[in-house]
Amino acid sequence: MTTKKDKKEKIEYLDTVGFGADIGGRGFHLPVDISARADGHLYVINRSPMHRLGIRVGICDVLHGWYGEFGSDGKADGQFTGPTAITHDSNNRIYVADEELNRITIFNPDGEFESKWGECGTEPGQINGPSALKVTSDGNLLVVDHLNNRIQKMTTNGQYIYHWGSKGIAEGQFNLPWGIDTDNADNVYVADWRNDRIQRFSEDGKFIDMYGSSGSDDGMFNRPSDVAVDQDDFIYVADWGNQRVQVFDHLWNFHTSLRGQATVSPWAQEYLEANADELDARSRFDPYIEVDTDDQHEISARVEAYFWDPIAVEIDPKGRLIVADSLRHRLQIYQRLND
Amino acid sequence: MTTDTTLENKSLNAHLLRRAGFGGTVTELNHFSNINYEQAVDQLLDAVDTSSLPQDLIRRYHIDQSDLRTGLSSGSNWVYRMATTDAPLIEKVALFWHRVFATAQTKLIQGKVMTSQIEMFREYGLGNFREILIQLSKNPAMIFFLDNQDNHKDSINENYGRELLELFSMGVGNYTEEDIKECSRAFTGWTVANTDYMALKMRNNTMRPYGYIAWQYKYDETDHDDGEKTFLGNTGNFNGEDVIDIIVKQPATAAFISRHLYHYFVADELPVPQWPHFPPKDPTVIDIMSDAYFASGYSIKAMLRALFLSDSFKSQSSRYARIKSPAELVAGTLRLAEAFEWPTNDVYSATAASGFMGQTLLAPPSVEGWMGANDWISTGSMVQRVNFASEIMGDLERPGIRKIVDQVKEVSGTDDSPETLVDACLIQLGWLDVSDETRSELVEFASRNNSDIDHQVSSLLQLVVSTREYQLV
Repeated sequence: MTTKKDKKEKIEYLDTVGFGADIGGRGFHLPVDISARADGHLYVINRSPMHRLGIRVGICDVLHGWYGEFGSDGKADGQFTGPTAITHDSNNRIYVADEELNRITIFNPDGEFESKWGECGTEPGQINGPSALKVTSDGNLLVVDHLNNRIQKMTTNGQYIYHWGSKGIAEGQFNLPWGIDTDNADNVYVADWRNDRIQRFSEDGKFIDMYGSSGSDDGMFNRPSDVAVDQDDFIYVADWGNQRVQVFDHLWNFHTSLRGQATVSPWAQEYLEANADELDARSRFDPYIEVDTDDQHEISARVEAYFWDPIAVEIDPKGRLIVADSLRHRLQIYQRLND
Repeated sequence: MTTDTTLENKSLNAHLLRRAGFGGTVTELNHFSNINYEQAVDQLLDAVDTSSLPQDLIRRYHIDQSDLRTGLSSGSNWVYRMATTDAPLIEKVALFWHRVFATAQTKLIQGKVMTSQIEMFREYGLGNFREILIQLSKNPAMIFFLDNQDNHKDSINENYGRELLELFSMGVGNYTEEDIKECSRAFTGWTVANTDYMALKMRNNTMRPYGYIAWQYKYDETDHDDGEKTFLGNTGNFNGEDVIDIIVKQPATAAFISRHLYHYFVADELPVPQWPHFPPKDPTVIDIMSDAYFASGYSIKAMLRALFLSDSFKSQSSRYARIKSPAELVAGTLRLAEAFEWPTNDVYSATAASGFMGQTLLAPPSVEGWMGANDWISTGSMVQRVNFASEIMGDLERPGIRKIVDQVKEVSGTDDSPETLVDACLIQLGWLDVSDETRSELVEFASRNNSDIDHQVSSLLQLVVSTREYQLV
């Protein structure tokens, strides 16, 4: 693929999936990560700390299909207290990381508990606060071991292979890394959260390059929480603190920035139609009020259509961008427009 | 050589730290014991927060403290600030205004709008009282709490206008019922954007479909009564700001706010509804603060400086004259323990503990706030207070407790008598002065305790925080 620097890719908003469901059932509550299965089903982790019934994995698709949920709050097998990440392997087994319990739980494709592993510590193979997961093309698992400021490559059943990274600001060092993804060449991208940058590594952990600095201009980041790479190696960064998603090509040319433009999903519409007073009041609701603050987090709190803590980005099998719009309990769906 | 003057300076600075902060930590005491009292006053008044646990870290590990939907999330966010700031007076002042201008998440539902109000108190709370009242009148949490969104030009709602005069500025007896009506007319059109939908979501208590939407002040000119009004003897086409201009010029306002400051920072007064019928405990210091109010152009900071430098505040009779509020007890104990170097779920139990002791942050029982004084103490709340503080003091893993124990050990290394141990513990817990009876009980306990020195000190600390004196401020 060739990309000219002056040609900007366009990203089109497609739809909003979701609905606030803090006690379980169809919808989400504080979704923090998404994994798109090969058939397009989206598995969504809900963290929900103050509403423990909301902690679970919900399954849906971009066409508003709802396929149920599994997992719950707790420390028993198949439960979570601080779920942060989810991914699938090629056999559709599901891996969920819990950064509070320091363990990876494995579910079969039907969402039934299969096994778990993880031991808290700093030694190779031990983990402290697993914040993101990615299954590699060779069938192993990259674990963002965020409180140890390193990436560990493990087998899917928890056997240590190798690791890289340490705490710091130099190349290859991290400050509380969060999200992770790989590209077509198996290069690894890490959202180096508190260093306000994305780092790129070869599959064996050799530093390639990094991009970003602290700020709010195009190409700058404020605590990037996740990164996703599409089939054409376009890079999508959940710029969490700036309340936006930024899009780059593989040469780090900036293409566009998304602020969010959610619409009322069919699930939300059903709710409103069942609550006539809210539907009526909402008919007079101006969703894009002129705000009197520059604080992006506060602006997001006041303008419902915008992203509010966009925490995770995922590319589905059809190349669509799925954004976990965490504080709004929904997914916003976008598509890069091809020439 | 340590002189009596030096000891008195330390004791006085410790008193100031308890009142203008949450009590001194080991680090604070080391610093404040080396400066004189006036310097201490100025440093506390001028402090800027540089040490609070960063919000990005809090939001990273507590996603609920990013949307701040619940009262517990918002309250915990405040506890983090109270426990980690190096500008504690800003938080004490926010707590003061929260008590005077009481609004509650129990009605407003959203924790976030309460947190925004507290942030407003942080920003303006030590500043100009006129500006404080303007910000308060535009504050969405206050607008919805006192129903000003229902205050229309053709149908006034007096709720905010009445409380502004009765509870927030002048006090009963200094205005008429007609003034309340005219004041309310001046605040017509002061509302919140998307009023209907926001009010309905609050009333229905629903986060659906996409969570709560934070409120924003809106001035609706079409709903403002621009007609002529007569308020406190002044006539004009007054808007809200004009009414506030008149309010802040009143001697009654200066006296009322001074009495509130005395009530909070010096000694418990009678409940506010009784103020029209009984004079202040200390009229002299009320006059001193009122003078500072007018001389400074309505500055709260100037009033507090005058208060802290007054003989009344510094006197021995003012020390340990108030019962710590639960928030003060919780925050002070957490600060001693240096409990929050990193986000931890412990913050929720600490916030809940304040509620169990009778002060659920962001949820005062009525528009009059918490009564305080003896209301803080009941059999149940006393057990909660002692258990909370004692549990923290017993945890040697906490960095602040470790520091205290190590400092006590350093002193007792040369003299391990029970008396020395007790005195060292009292100093480390904020230059705590205790009665002779309390001290002899502590010495008796120390002489009976044969565990290793770490646990001996820790047990002694647990007993100290159970004393009457630790419950006072």
